[in-house]
Amino acid sequence: MTSLRSVLWLCARYELVLAVRSRWLQTFAVVFAGLALAVAGAGYILSGGHGVQDFSRTAVSLVQIVLLLVPLASLVFGGLALTPERGAAELLYSQPVPRGAILIGRMLGVWLALAAAELIGFGMAGLVVQTQAGLDGLWRYGALVLTAIAMTGVFLAIATLLASVNAGRRTRVLAAALVVWFMTVVLFDVVVLGVASMLRSGPASRLLISATLVNPVDAARMGALLAIEGTAAFGAASLALLRFTGGAGMAATLVVLSLAAWFVAPLWLAVRALSRADI
Amino acid sequence: MIRYRAFTKRYDGRTAVDSLTLEVPAGSVVALLGPNGSGKTTSIKAAAGLLRPDSGDVVLGAERLNALDPRARRACSFLPQRVSFPETLTGREVVDFYRRLREAPADAADRVLKFASLNGAGERPVGTYSGGMVQRLGLAVATLGTTDVLLLDEPTAALDPDGLCAFYGLVEARRRAGGTVFFSSHQLGDIERLADRVAVIVEGKLVAVLSERELAARLADRGVMRVRLAARVGGLLERIRERSPEAVWFGDELVVPGSASTRPAVLDLVRAAGAEIRGLTAQEGRLDAFYRELIGAES
Repeated sequence: MTSLRSVLWLCARYELVLAVRSRWLQTFAVVFAGLALAVAGAGYILSGGHGVQDFSRTAVSLVQIVLLLVPLASLVFGGLALTPERGAAELLYSQPVPRGAILIGRMLGVWLALAAAELIGFGMAGLVVQTQAGLDGLWRYGALVLTAIAMTGVFLAIATLLASVNAGRRTRVLAAALVVWFMTVVLFDVVVLGVASMLRSGPASRLLISATLVNPVDAARMGALLAIEGTAAFGAASLALLRFTGGAGMAATLVVLSLAAWFVAPLWLAVRALSRADI
Repeated sequence: MIRYRAFTKRYDGRTAVDSLTLEVPAGSVVALLGPNGSGKTTSIKAAAGLLRPDSGDVVLGAERLNALDPRARRACSFLPQRVSFPETLTGREVVDFYRRLREAPADAADRVLKFASLNGAGERPVGTYSGGMVQRLGLAVATLGTTDVLLLDEPTAALDPDGLCAFYGLVEARRRAGGTVFFSSHQLGDIERLADRVAVIVEGKLVAVLSERELAARLADRGVMRVRLAARVGGLLERIRERSPEAVWFGDELVVPGSASTRPAVLDLVRAAGAEIRGLTAQEGRLDAFYRELIGAES
């Protein structure tokens, strides 16, 4: 039987080729570049100046946009890419290789493709920033791009789960992807802050700390701000976690563990669901 | 070899296949025949390891592995009813992907593209293919491996004449090589041309297993001849009923059900009675009537 590693690579390459030929991916690259450039330029324009901000300021300004856009792109593009039409799925999963290997291989291919779009998009913007504002703070910008790539993996894992439990039903996958995006990016924080405001200080802090680690968007926000040393932009929940852990090192460890769990658990559930599913 | 042992599959409480017990012997070509929604696709997909039985099982190949075992899928190739491929890939890229998944030799891609008459179109994106070409590409993929068992779900439904020739050639080649072919079809032509045996499934139940000759004979018995006359002739119907008891008048038309072999004698009787024949049609037995009869026999 074909080795697991070669199946993973074969399926990843297959999906990568499909994604590269898809206009969606090219659009994402252009959107990432455009947004990064807009943010880099807007900082000075808003304060009455002209030119572009350096890498540090651009990175901090980009965090919120990355937290909105990357989960949406990963959930929607990943969900649709990983939900083949019925005839295609039947042929694919009748091959003599484990279903889970095909699924994870394809997910890795989509991840590579989206990561490439992010690297190209932010990279093009980075070239402009570098020529206008120099290399100062480049590593912060790089840390933000790495956070975006990690977050892409997390939300692709969730998209993989959605695709597995709704095998072949693309409309349902798309609807579920949008619901997950709305809940994690918008609704979760509103609900948590609303509940916390009704609690006494101690329980409210514990709730905020848990919320930061439970929601992958909050964990990624905390991770990105820690990575680019943008703690001035911390919200109540991130500050509570930082105080609770006693420093950035432990907080970063917890954030990495949270994101790792959000990557591994949905993939494990997806493989489990697919291996038991009727195709 | 494929063996279904009391295989049952339900969807949302509806029984799609009910306790199917059937053996497709090694080296044989067996057709699965039945009306729409009778359970043909479910049965074939179960053999391809795509569905979990609610009860019973399906085993296949020389090693008699459970169809759900990934090793069993090495022994079989499956062509879905409505196969589809990414439109941006070329035919050759599609074939090459599946060739690598199956670990087939590198020259297999050229072989199957040529067999499917796609060697000229292999470098074109699938999005430019006609429906028949996509189906031929599916056949090419299904024949990549040297598997014991070939499972084909309505393989000729979208095939053009070139594709049909390729398909018939493929099944004959598999038969000569001692392979097993199990396919579903609505097309009597496919069955007459290819099948050693025909399993008839209606409303999820296996209602008959016939040889191709038995099926042809039973359908011929259920043919109808219609003879339109200038006017009714007294006493003619009674004489015809001695040969075909179910004959009736329908206006000025004689409707004579029964085997094709009785028709010359019936026409001799019409001519002998001095009737003027204005029109004549003959129809072989219809599958839907055959299914209804089988259900009646079953109940």
